[in-house]
Amino acid sequence: MKTTGIAVIGAGPAGIAAALAAAEAGASITVIDENSAVGGQLRWRIAPLRGLDEALDGLPACRAAETLRERLATAGVSVLAGTVAWGLFEDGSLAVAAPGGGFRLRAEKIVVATGAVDLVLPFSGWTLPGVMTARAAQVMLHLHRVLPGRRVAVIGEGRDAAELVTDLETAGAEVVLRAADPAQVVASGEGRVEQVSVNGEQREANAVVIALGRQPDPELALQAQVDLGYSARLGCHLPLRNELLETSRPGLYVAGEAAGAVDLAESFAEGRLAGLAAAGASPERITTAQEKLARARSPERSADADRLRPWASDRAQTETDASSPWTSWVRAATAEGRDNSLDRVALCRCEQVTIGEVRQAIEEGALTINDIKRRTRAGMGLCQGIFCTRAMALLLHAERGIPLSEIVPMTERPPARPIPLASLVEIEE
Amino acid sequence: MDEARSIGTGDLRVLHHPVLGDLPVSRPVQITVDGQPLLAREGEVIAATLLAHGILVCRAMPRGREPRGVFCALGRCTDCLMTVDDEPNVRACLTPVREGQVIWTQAGLGGWEGPAG
Ligand SMILES: Cc1cc2nc3c(=O)[nH]c(=O)nc-3n(C[C@H](O)[C@H](O)[C@H](O)COP(=O)(O)OP(=O)(O)OC[C@H]3O[C@@H](n4cnc5c(N)ncnc54)[C@H](O)[C@@H]3O)c2cc1C
Repeated sequence: MKTTGIAVIGAGPAGIAAALAAAEAGASITVIDENSAVGGQLRWRIAPLRGLDEALDGLPACRAAETLRERLATAGVSVLAGTVAWGLFEDGSLAVAAPGGGFRLRAEKIVVATGAVDLVLPFSGWTLPGVMTARAAQVMLHLHRVLPGRRVAVIGEGRDAAELVTDLETAGAEVVLRAADPAQVVASGEGRVEQVSVNGEQREANAVVIALGRQPDPELALQAQVDLGYSARLGCHLPLRNELLETSRPGLYVAGEAAGAVDLAESFAEGRLAGLAAAGASPERITTAQEKLARARSPERSADADRLRPWASDRAQTETDASSPWTSWVRAATAEGRDNSLDRVALCRCEQVTIGEVRQAIEEGALTINDIKRRTRAGMGLCQGIFCTRAMALLLHAERGIPLSEIVPMTERPPARPIPLASLVEIEE
Repeated sequence: MDEARSIGTGDLRVLHHPVLGDLPVSRPVQITVDGQPLLAREGEVIAATLLAHGILVCRAMPRGREPRGVFCALGRCTDCLMTVDDEPNVRACLTPVREGQVIWTQAGLGGWEGPAG
């Protein structure tokens, strides 16, 4: 068993800020990130940064990631790259899979800064090769310099979709169609995307990029069974935190997009506060960090943070649910009879379980995500439900009228990643 | 080998980029995918080489041999599992190319049944 003062999981903006702040306060720190280099989402984005600090603003995101890496080196913080924390156990120790083998890590304090993953919803043809997430498209375009296709359709209408369209066009691809919501999209072709239609308007295309935004990925904190609250804005449950960003489990902090932060500035400010708090910094420093975080938060987000309450006591969400951006997807997915082209579409990509099979399970009495999982195997696959539980929750909500706020996430168990058996064996020792 | 190939290798390469600049020259790495030799760029992941050459399929699923390709590029979705140097279930989106690597499209959960599609 290795030991450290503070373990920071994730070296995106939030984790970096946490590590820099904790180093300032004199703590011993271990930073773990499964990517090959630090920077989190910044590594594969090229849009110019706004709202961090003078040295970073205006730089393409990927260059800023390099600057942040230098700051970590200057502060003497070492980062274990290519290393995954896949379990957080009862005794507070972390299970880690590293290139050289696995190990157990005991930390006095843990900062979970694991960020977010792409939000996806099933549509006709979404399992065809050529359909990919915004992140996959950006990784291919900017880290590997490969076009996802020459003619690309983009799904989504928010900030991420706008950035994707710019990224694709800048690199020389043609954006041939855009769709606001996945239920309007049909991708088709022989073994790969060849055509895409949006509300009946058809184009030849060789790729479809899903850019619906991101969803928080606090999986390690869920494994630790911290208290959760429902965020109406994000439509999902998040760890509840006190004013120091500490969860119901003492010594376990969550910061950045993993906890629902909306942007870079907020993620960075949260990371700093969590790092200082975990390191036991002086009250003055903590107050300054709290004030900075309050300034970094948009009014919309501040309101959201105030609404985080334990799910069981929150019954007033139904109205918000009805006007959620997913309403039209839910309507299409639960339409009766021939109108419904989604019934045969895979909801769970890993186990190839269709939307129809999940609806059937709900009709036959499934009332929770764990119920659906047991009856259909949906969510049992290698992705650990990260790409299908949202759709399951929406179906439960639509078919049973259960408020989204009452649909608790799947029970999370280690491992958080499909890790090689060898890592498990070494852990045993 | 001509100069362009040692830079790019593959039709879908972005050779010139307004923000990132020209694609740096890299040492070409030769890999074999379903028996077909392909040139890759040193340091990239297998999935990038495939995509650059217009190859989209990484595996066929257990049910209906449904083809899958890179979806999340994060190591999470496992749609890009391939058999690499006899080892099944290797994630093409995370695994770097190496000279002489032998890669096969994977059928189902790892049993090798010949190239899919
Ligand atoms: C397309 C797009 C457009 C955006 N536009 C803007 C914008 O205009 N303005 C703005 O302010 N922000 C924007 N953002 C968001 C911004 O990039 C994020 O807010 C920021 O990166 C979040 O930082 P984070 O540290 O919380 O998470 P991330 O950057 O996601 O970092 C999380 C890190 O944790 C690691 N990790 C996760 N799980 C584990 C584990 N179990 N073990 C080890 N490591 C793990 C991951 O590898 C990753 O490196 C955009 C993002 C995208 C994708």
